[in-house]
Amino acid sequence: MAHGRASKNVEDEYSSFDQLDGRHPLQKALPEMVVSYRARTRKGAKIAYFNFHLAKEMGLIPEDHPEIMNASLEKKLIETFSIIIINEYDDINGKKFPEKEIKPHKYMATRYLQLQHPNKMGKTSGDGRSVWNGQFKGKKGKVWDVSSCGSGATCLSPATAIQGKFFESGDPTISYGCGYSELDEGFATAFFSEIMHKNGYSTERALIVLDYGGNIGLTVRVHPNLLRPSHFFAWLKQSDHKALETLTTQWISQQVKNKAFVNLPKTKSAQYKLCLDWITEKFAKISARFEDDYIFCWLDWDGDNILMDGGIIDYGSIRQFGLFHSEYRYDDVERFSTTIVEQKQKAKYLVQTFAQMFDYLKTGQKKNIKDFASHSSMTRFDEIFEYQKDLNLLEKIGFDEKSRDTLISKYRSDVFEFRKIFSWFETSKSSEGLIEVADGVNRNAIYCMRDILREFPQLILARGKDQRLEAEEFIEIIRSSYANDADVKLTANLKQKIAQFQEGYLKLVDHVGKTSSILLAITMRSSVINKYDRVTGDAVTTVVDKVMNAKPKLKADDMYDVLREFTEFQNLDPDLKDVTTGAKKSNREKLMKTMVQIVREYREGL
Amino acid sequence: MKLVFHGGGHSDDNKDLNLEALRMCQDPDPVITYIPACSIDSEGDFLEFAKSFQDLGVGRFLYFPVDVPFDQTMLAQVLKSNIIHLSGGNTFYFLKTMRKAKLMPRLKEFVRSGGVLTGLSAGAIMMTPDISSAGYPDFDCDENDEHLKDLRALKLVNFEFFPHYRNSKRYESELRAQSRLIDYPIYAVPDGNGIVVESENTRFIGKAFCFYKGKKIVIGR
Repeated sequence: MAHGRASKNVEDEYSSFDQLDGRHPLQKALPEMVVSYRARTRKGAKIAYFNFHLAKEMGLIPEDHPEIMNASLEKKLIETFSIIIINEYDDINGKKFPEKEIKPHKYMATRYLQLQHPNKMGKTSGDGRSVWNGQFKGKKGKVWDVSSCGSGATCLSPATAIQGKFFESGDPTISYGCGYSELDEGFATAFFSEIMHKNGYSTERALIVLDYGGNIGLTVRVHPNLLRPSHFFAWLKQSDHKALETLTTQWISQQVKNKAFVNLPKTKSAQYKLCLDWITEKFAKISARFEDDYIFCWLDWDGDNILMDGGIIDYGSIRQFGLFHSEYRYDDVERFSTTIVEQKQKAKYLVQTFAQMFDYLKTGQKKNIKDFASHSSMTRFDEIFEYQKDLNLLEKIGFDEKSRDTLISKYRSDVFEFRKIFSWFETSKSSEGLIEVADGVNRNAIYCMRDILREFPQLILARGKDQRLEAEEFIEIIRSSYANDADVKLTANLKQKIAQFQEGYLKLVDHVGKTSSILLAITMRSSVINKYDRVTGDAVTTVVDKVMNAKPKLKADDMYDVLREFTEFQNLDPDLKDVTTGAKKSNREKLMKTMVQIVREYREGL
Repeated sequence: MKLVFHGGGHSDDNKDLNLEALRMCQDPDPVITYIPACSIDSEGDFLEFAKSFQDLGVGRFLYFPVDVPFDQTMLAQVLKSNIIHLSGGNTFYFLKTMRKAKLMPRLKEFVRSGGVLTGLSAGAIMMTPDISSAGYPDFDCDENDEHLKDLRALKLVNFEFFPHYRNSKRYESELRAQSRLIDYPIYAVPDGNGIVVESENTRFIGKAFCFYKGKKIVIGR
């Protein structure tokens, strides 16, 4: 009997997974939005990673389930998730599959707008290599959307749209359009998404990564609502009011189930206002947070690469920089990406599009997007963005919630003044100019703000509140490895900026209490928030390489433990930081140390 | 010379020893530096350490991991502290990184200049002639993943220190055997207990066990 729980049999224990059989309410509500595929069992899967913690949170497995794999669970996971669609290529070529291998229900690929598609209306684009496993009704009525990346080639991939033909799943002559995903991609998603989740971001999360050998994998992604703005914008572009209304109703219903919306107004008009306000707030806050956490998320007018609540989806286009590399652009062959500071305008444009969309829903008349450039949601976006920027800075410094509230409500102008000088350092760039990097272009940032935020309060606390750092000391702490001597030459201007930084910082401290007590509190919080080892996108990629190399020796359970340890290591929330219980001794310790070394090596990079 | 050796345990268990450190530093508003044996996930331990001293009225701390690059400004400030605490962890890794950071002579100088050096478990072993005691007994020792062969440490005292001691037969027989191999005593100290060295005086806080030339002597209550 599994796990010694004699009262339950195996059938019962894992029956929750049976909900994930391909069926999703959208298939019935809006059939024109989905392409439904038959699916069959895909052989040869091994479980590379299973997120026990997430499975418990969802209610897929009991809270007291041991975090180790057992034969029954493994069998259930493979039965549920190891699928491949029977696609148009299979049908055209008369491929036959044993009836017993074919799943009873159809799985949907959803249509949404994608700028890289030739059709800019969303008529041919959408899930190119994913289908949805369905919707899971979990604990306390919460619902979760579940989809699988790498489940076969759909007709919605760019390859099909561009080449005008259907592809066999796994066709080696094409890469992205073949419908498969790579194992390291799955691990990167698992690592990165759990770190983001741990640090308070809304994000898709990897529930399971399956390994089919030869670096071919399948990643099951989960979020309370996997709809993206691009799902809606496709219908908006096509001026399909009815479909847009149905989709919006579905989305609102899911928001209510998930308690994201409480006290939903009765009239459609009021509901749309609530939706627009909610989305405006989410996108303003998230774009401020992306900017301040140096997270590069390629946002564009299509509303792809992001969820409706500003959550992160598709880690292929996500980076976390070590410094404020605000001029980095990813080279996507046909175009360069936006920069991290341009994200705000893109996010704002998405809100503008939502304003247009909800007006269309309300009035039935689609007005020009330009008519919404001065919409009240635009002003609101800017206000929330600025407010959030101030709040983020105070949080980064290490002020606790009470101090943040005091500073924001009573001393906002001083916060803003300090933000200006902080930003001056943060955005200072290398005299080397624009350079080519591995996958794009960048002009390197030269100051590491995390280092000064971590050390400054400690040093002032130790020296006394009336003391200041010498300019040379300040520069020694804050300069990054990208700075050359000319970049940090102590000019009169730089000396003045250093003085302004110190005075501005201590002015904020003075506002909220006794200087020494506040500096002590900040010292302690900042040591966690601004820890030396913060992961970057390059570090995740390299960590995943190491994990892939170690993988033959690592079982799914080991992978789960490694990921949990690594995620905890990257938890920068001082209120949730665990105290370790002495030296860890495990067979994964060496791998963990290697991963930490990687994080350190790439700490200032992209 | 002012040293405090902690046998182990959490902050609550070490209040008496912390008070001894504060008494020796003779500063009403001291600065205490926390050096973790390994920086990985050590921030939480630093918070716990700082909170325990906050309860004793201390309000100035420096957090100084040595296995990551550090700046000279911070190092200079650390060496001006009243108390430097070396945390617990893997002793071999700690010694390796302290050496690599060239901190061994700086810490000796700190102690010579009147600074109070305290250490818990691995940190305490670092203050002894060498860190051999981290390598035994087989059933409870640090892994020498660093493959360190030169085990010489700060040599601030003429005894070996064995932390987390449990008064059981298997520990006892191992320590008796080890004590026959060296010319100075091994002090085995359970969690929450410790040793205070002040100039030429050595005092035991709580219970300790001395192993010398194969013999075992109980010290303290």
